[in-house]
Amino acid sequence: MNADIVTILSTRQDVSWLPWAVLYFFLIGLSVAAFVLSVPGIVLRRGSWIGISRRALLGAVLCGVTAPLALLSDLHQPGRFLNFYLHSNFSSWMAWGAYFIPLYLCSLLLYSWLALRPTLAAMGAQGGSATRWYARLAYGGHDSRTALAAAALLAAVGGLLVFVYTGMEVMILRSRPLWHTPMLPLLFVLTAFSGAIGMVHVLDRMLNAVTEDATRRLNRLLVAAQVAVLTANAAWLALGLAGWSASGAQAWSELAGVGAWRYAAAWAGTVTLVTLWLARRRPARGLLIGVLTLHSAWMIRWTILIGGQGVSRIGEGYSAYQLPLGFDGVLGLLGIAGLWLALYVVLISFLPWDNRAAAQGAAS
Amino acid sequence: MSDVCDLQRRGLLKALPALAAGAASLPAQAGPQGQPHWAMLIDLRECVGCQACTVACVMENQVPRDSFRTSVFTYVVKDESGTGTYMLPRLCNHCEKPPCVPVCPVGATFKRDDGIVMVDGERCVGCAYCVQACPYEARFINHDTGKADKCTFCAHRVEAGLLPACVETCVGGARVFGDLNNPGSEIRRRLAAAKGQVKTLKPEHGTRPNVFYVGLDQSVQQRLSGGAATAPAEIPVIGG
Repeated sequence: MNADIVTILSTRQDVSWLPWAVLYFFLIGLSVAAFVLSVPGIVLRRGSWIGISRRALLGAVLCGVTAPLALLSDLHQPGRFLNFYLHSNFSSWMAWGAYFIPLYLCSLLLYSWLALRPTLAAMGAQGGSATRWYARLAYGGHDSRTALAAAALLAAVGGLLVFVYTGMEVMILRSRPLWHTPMLPLLFVLTAFSGAIGMVHVLDRMLNAVTEDATRRLNRLLVAAQVAVLTANAAWLALGLAGWSASGAQAWSELAGVGAWRYAAAWAGTVTLVTLWLARRRPARGLLIGVLTLHSAWMIRWTILIGGQGVSRIGEGYSAYQLPLGFDGVLGLLGIAGLWLALYVVLISFLPWDNRAAAQGAAS
Repeated sequence: MSDVCDLQRRGLLKALPALAAGAASLPAQAGPQGQPHWAMLIDLRECVGCQACTVACVMENQVPRDSFRTSVFTYVVKDESGTGTYMLPRLCNHCEKPPCVPVCPVGATFKRDDGIVMVDGERCVGCAYCVQACPYEARFINHDTGKADKCTFCAHRVEAGLLPACVETCVGGARVFGDLNNPGSEIRRRLAAAKGQVKTLKPEHGTRPNVFYVGLDQSVQQRLSGGAATAPAEIPVIGG
């Protein structure tokens, strides 16, 4: 029996995973994917990858350090993180995350130090006011490929666990049909890779380290990543439309008529397509490609995580989220972006990341 | 305790003389089957949508502004049989298999032996994972504390031998609270009387709620509860 229902009185639930949470998922994904991009040049010593891998390592460290701080901010009171270790409940994916994040981050920092160690030693031998500090940081400057490979392996395990837990943490929530799909972890991983490629494009330009070969290589990778992202999105949509996935069908029925969500999703898809076109047809536009790719990776996460919370679980209707200007919204995002930028300034001020330094580090 | 809590407000008024005589028995005491198993029955045919329960809950539990542990959703429904107003009180369902419990990373959300799902405010980190996991939107982040908040069946009142505030104040006597383990309880009697018509929200989620509804119209329930059509509820009688 069909019934027309008009809601007279109801309550609206606030978005409880705030933009900080989206920022965390975004940054940690970028970090792990950027770490993977750093491996060919730094661990495998592929000559054509050295520059890309060096900037990817910089990106992995920048995003890896800032991501957990965004997560702490979402706890409303950062000191509460201690309870994750004092009262771990291992039936929760989030509890596992509290162990996977430090595992990944510590091994990433160890890997970075081992990768930079020869460069630090070289800088320590050059003379100047900071020589003493570089020499101390180099701690002998021994270039151990075995240690580097071991640290990379540990970081890879940590990164894989981070990918698994971030995807599963959201996917298992049956209460939200949009999230309750195996396509979600896959999409998180794929957009992390496309975003990381975009980030390396941007870092190349920020450090004035652009080479034609690296740009071509990054664009080739980006085309593959964005095709995979679009395919995964299309498969997700098809599963829902065809009714092959119950949660997908329900998510589609809840969101198909919601203009705000539809436009955001269409925008995310369009930007992804534009980056694909630019990477193929306008490969020299590296900065634009990079920025738009980061934007598309961000928009896909935003549409899923914030957009998904707008759907009422106890009735009809959709509550479009309005980003507040305060620390729960714009100010919070700017704060983390500022932290990223400050860390970037510190790292590029004291350590070399351009192609010459990268080649020097690889050669020593 | 269960003898008192099994009464709804109207029943309480009717039984006042007897209660006055037996006032000494008011403090909490175990039901005849030992451990109680608290549940609530909401008879939608008796609900007038006055929101007295909403206000009583806010006052009793100092719920912050713009948040509710319980409220009565009100709809106008027009179908082949005509147009009418439809009330649906909502609160935490204190599920037998609460999806909020396993996701809590610090074990702050737990189910007590008496069936009440609670949040340990000292331990809660405010991550809102439980808020996301609840299919009934029964949880929220308390703006004052930054921690998860929800209906507790007024556990502090129940422990003192009192009814939950929403039940105590229900004008229409629509809310019945009691011990499912007590075969002689009002809630058991009312559930038995409404056999076949008792429903729960979103049974397809497998959460087995301990909040039961009588008078939930199947033709509109699917849309109002945001889930599939209901089947008659399985009532989790532990003892008795």
